[in-house]
Amino acid sequence: MPQLGESIAEATIVDIKVKPGDEIADDQEILDVETNKAVMGVTTPCKGKIAQITVQLKETYPVGAVLGYVEASEADAARFAKQAPSPAQREVAEEIPARADQEVAPAREKKVAARDGDGARAGGLPVPVTPKGATFMSPRIRARMAELQLTTADLAGIMGTGAGNRVTIKDLENFLHKIESQTAQDASAIRTGVADAMRRSWMRPLSTIGSSVNLDTVLQDRQSRDPKPGPGLYALRALALALAETPGAAAKLIGNRVVQSTSIDVGIAVEAEDGIMVPVIRSAEKTSLADLATKYKELIELARQRRISPDMQAGGIATVSNFGTFGMEWGTPIPLPDQTLLLGLGAGKKVPSWNEQKKEFVPRTEAQITLSFDHRSIDGGGAGRLLKRVIELLETPKKL
Amino acid sequence: MLQTAQRQSKTKKPSPPHERFLEAYRWMLLTRTLEEKLVSLYRGGLITGGVYIGKGQEAVSAACGLFLQKGDIFAPLIRDQAGRSAFGEPLLDVTRTYLGSRQGPMRGRDGNIHRGRPQQNQLAMVSHLGAMISVTVGTLMAKRFKGEKDFIGLACIGEGGMQTGAFHEGMNIAAVEQVPLVIVATNNHYAYATQNDREFACHDLVDRAIGYGFEGYSLDGTDLSACLEVIGGAVKRARAGRPPQLVVASVLRLSGHGEHDDASYVTEEIKREPFARDCLKVAEQTIADLNLVDAKTLTEWRKEAVAKVDEAIATAQKEAPPEGDKEDWCAISVRDLVDSLQ
Amino acid sequence: MSITYLEAIREAQAKLLRDDERVFIYGQDVGGTFGGAFKATKGLAKEFPGRVLNTPISEDAMVGAAIGAAIEGMRPIVAMQFADFSSIALNQILNNAGTHYWRTNVPVPITVRLPSGGTKGSGPFHSQSMESIYAHYPGLIVMTPATVEDAYTMLIEAVAIDDPVVYCEHKYLYYHLKADKLPTQGVPTGTARIAREGRDLTIVSYSAMVHEALAVAEQLAGEGFEIEVVDLRSVKPLDTNTVLASVARTGRLLCVGESFPWGGVTAEVIARVAAEGFHLLDAAPQRLNAKDTPIPYHPNLWSAHRPNAKEIARKARALLRE
Repeated sequence: MPQLGESIAEATIVDIKVKPGDEIADDQEILDVETNKAVMGVTTPCKGKIAQITVQLKETYPVGAVLGYVEASEADAARFAKQAPSPAQREVAEEIPARADQEVAPAREKKVAARDGDGARAGGLPVPVTPKGATFMSPRIRARMAELQLTTADLAGIMGTGAGNRVTIKDLENFLHKIESQTAQDASAIRTGVADAMRRSWMRPLSTIGSSVNLDTVLQDRQSRDPKPGPGLYALRALALALAETPGAAAKLIGNRVVQSTSIDVGIAVEAEDGIMVPVIRSAEKTSLADLATKYKELIELARQRRISPDMQAGGIATVSNFGTFGMEWGTPIPLPDQTLLLGLGAGKKVPSWNEQKKEFVPRTEAQITLSFDHRSIDGGGAGRLLKRVIELLETPKKL
Repeated sequence: MLQTAQRQSKTKKPSPPHERFLEAYRWMLLTRTLEEKLVSLYRGGLITGGVYIGKGQEAVSAACGLFLQKGDIFAPLIRDQAGRSAFGEPLLDVTRTYLGSRQGPMRGRDGNIHRGRPQQNQLAMVSHLGAMISVTVGTLMAKRFKGEKDFIGLACIGEGGMQTGAFHEGMNIAAVEQVPLVIVATNNHYAYATQNDREFACHDLVDRAIGYGFEGYSLDGTDLSACLEVIGGAVKRARAGRPPQLVVASVLRLSGHGEHDDASYVTEEIKREPFARDCLKVAEQTIADLNLVDAKTLTEWRKEAVAKVDEAIATAQKEAPPEGDKEDWCAISVRDLVDSLQ
Repeated sequence: MSITYLEAIREAQAKLLRDDERVFIYGQDVGGTFGGAFKATKGLAKEFPGRVLNTPISEDAMVGAAIGAAIEGMRPIVAMQFADFSSIALNQILNNAGTHYWRTNVPVPITVRLPSGGTKGSGPFHSQSMESIYAHYPGLIVMTPATVEDAYTMLIEAVAIDDPVVYCEHKYLYYHLKADKLPTQGVPTGTARIAREGRDLTIVSYSAMVHEALAVAEQLAGEGFEIEVVDLRSVKPLDTNTVLASVARTGRLLCVGESFPWGGVTAEVIARVAAEGFHLLDAAPQRLNAKDTPIPYHPNLWSAHRPNAKEIARKARALLRE
């Protein structure tokens, strides 16, 4: 059935002029069909013999339907079979070759290349191809997260099903649905506060190195003092002095600027009723051990009264954590988000230590001392040298 | 349909005045007074947008407005102040529009000479010349559909506007629809800065009438009584059911295209042509020659015109302009169908 | 009894002529026994003598006259023979009809019928979809019915509306779309229709493309995706709320239109969703239009030029994978 006019979809057979067996000539009208506009004749594609008429009078058939078959010569059959209306295909349109006198093609190619995803540049800057990839967070995800006060850390446990394994809204909703069936309580403000601080801190590449320190001299030294400073305060003093000696280690990298500290401010962990506070001792390298002890006592009292303000905890570059008091030997503590260093002191243990002179094992009180650091601001070598110096100072408390 | 093109020969002697000669003259006087005042306000920086006056065309224009009666449609363009006033447009409409009062007929949404009152049969023009011809045709078709009788439409155009496609379509459809339309085309010899020889090539624009199925008449636009005679006649014939009428009047534009234009390109030569005469002065000469009115009355008329103009200006000047944040920014009348655009 | 999209348009005009003496039809070849190039007015000149009038080939004057007649109280329907030719009348439609109410407070109740969209072999000047151009200018209502029912009720509504309406009827749908019967009441213009409910992705479309979208939805249902199809019905006013509600359900948006790609209805929908529903999107909104070239004549090129079910499905699948 031919397309007999724009928008025509079908036509009705109103006259069949031939029957099977009839010889027909080129362009002979063999059927009449009626559309809403008019009656039109349908012609044969070529000469030959009518083999079959497959349609019936007064019936309606859509455009493209087979109306019958014509027996034709091989040559004709080959020729007209190719011209038969085929369902619309999408051919790749061939590029019209540029004329010799026109410089169009090269410019066009360049433009097309620039448009392609990979290697695309806008204003010389590389342009992301598509927002695919595991880190893509859609506006909908972000809106939902904001609504539920979730962070990307909370979503770490979700296996994404989107492009590049990114988390889609469906993935998130499934995850939340599962959680709903589990028992939960509201987290305390302290808990969420710590979670937020640690999450922020963890955004940096952190590393830890450690060694052992002989605490005998410290333990002896503290006997002669009143009040008696804990090993943690000795470590704080040692760290402050070591940092004063190498100011480079007391710097922070922000973008491509190395920001020097104006003073060596070191924090010390103080236990309060509802959690740990980390007040900062300003200019710790200028504060004597005796003063440190006094200050520490004050801070304990303030902590008990809940009078340690956020201001008092801000602006330090390092903190000392004496987790040895909990019996832990070593750890990889996480520096505070606004600091680059955290010195951790483990519990002292009586261990046998090889004495080269006496050629025998002698007992000594040893503790593991670790230094966690933001690897952007300081390397293992620098951290190592710093830790070594701290150990040196700790093992000679007279220098503190 | 018999089509004839009649030409009226230009005479040198003043014709006997038409019965509406003085009436028309007073509209011309009022218009000239008004437009001179508008020009001076413009030069004083008190008018936003352009000022376009019809100096030299007042006779033709007054004649247009004068013969229209209740139920007729008038489609004026930019130099038809005399016709607008004669048709009944209040002076306040003019001054309010020019001086930016919120109370003007277009409320600040369109300006200056685009103003109109469609519901009082004065169509509001668009800037695209020739577009209003077919609109006028449509109004006349509607009146016919509704069974009204004895109405006509009169549309104005210049020799420049006559060259647009829209004008051609409008003129053709007017004749096809056989509506009672009078087109008064004023050839003021300058379309902005373009003279006739670059505007059209036919010998005489009135020759086109036959081509469209109109009846055509030529007119010396500087001669008020000729204007009244010819235009009045065309209106009469249209009302009587004749084919549409084309009147081509000849004048010289005696101002710039707008008041921002100094018209320095108008040649001294053309200013000496007979069609360059000032129709107001010609009319006043006729009045003097035939002693139609005494000097005292003339002075009174002049004073009255000035008083009317001054009052209209003073009133408009006291009125508030439109304000952007108080405006109803809605372009359609059916509020339910307003698109929710931010 | 089955009724085609074209017959619905004819029935609507017959009803309008019958019920309202202010209505008349003005266009080329609409009168006499011919009844229009597509037979949309067949028989109407005879049934309503003097109200179905043949015009000269003067699109500007056709619309100009309609404007004048409307100002004087009539309700003319201007029948353009092809949307493509309405460009001659752009000045009258956009600058005259479209500005008249704003400037003079007098609305212009004209309806301009635009046979729009492509059919095989029609070529660059008999296939255009011009709704974006008319929607862009203030002062006009632009309708794009996709169903036989809407073709009927929206044309009747168009004439009743006091403002100028550009009614874009799709030529391909004329005889390809059939319904069992005509409705007695229609959904008012300004409300989009959920043609198919879904969950995973929203396809917003209008006119013939709605049917391509529905075909895609059928196909993708077999692959486990539920596609929601929104039929805008009118592009001005555009029912932003229904679109936003749909995107709120699915989070993914594909907008499909038959017009040229720069600007246009699809861009408008996406701009609105980006501005007002950014937080609803789980992937970047996408659109599909015809190619940025004139509409080709050869059926192979024509069908490659405009969006089709295959193209739409491909784009939808990519969006579902995002």
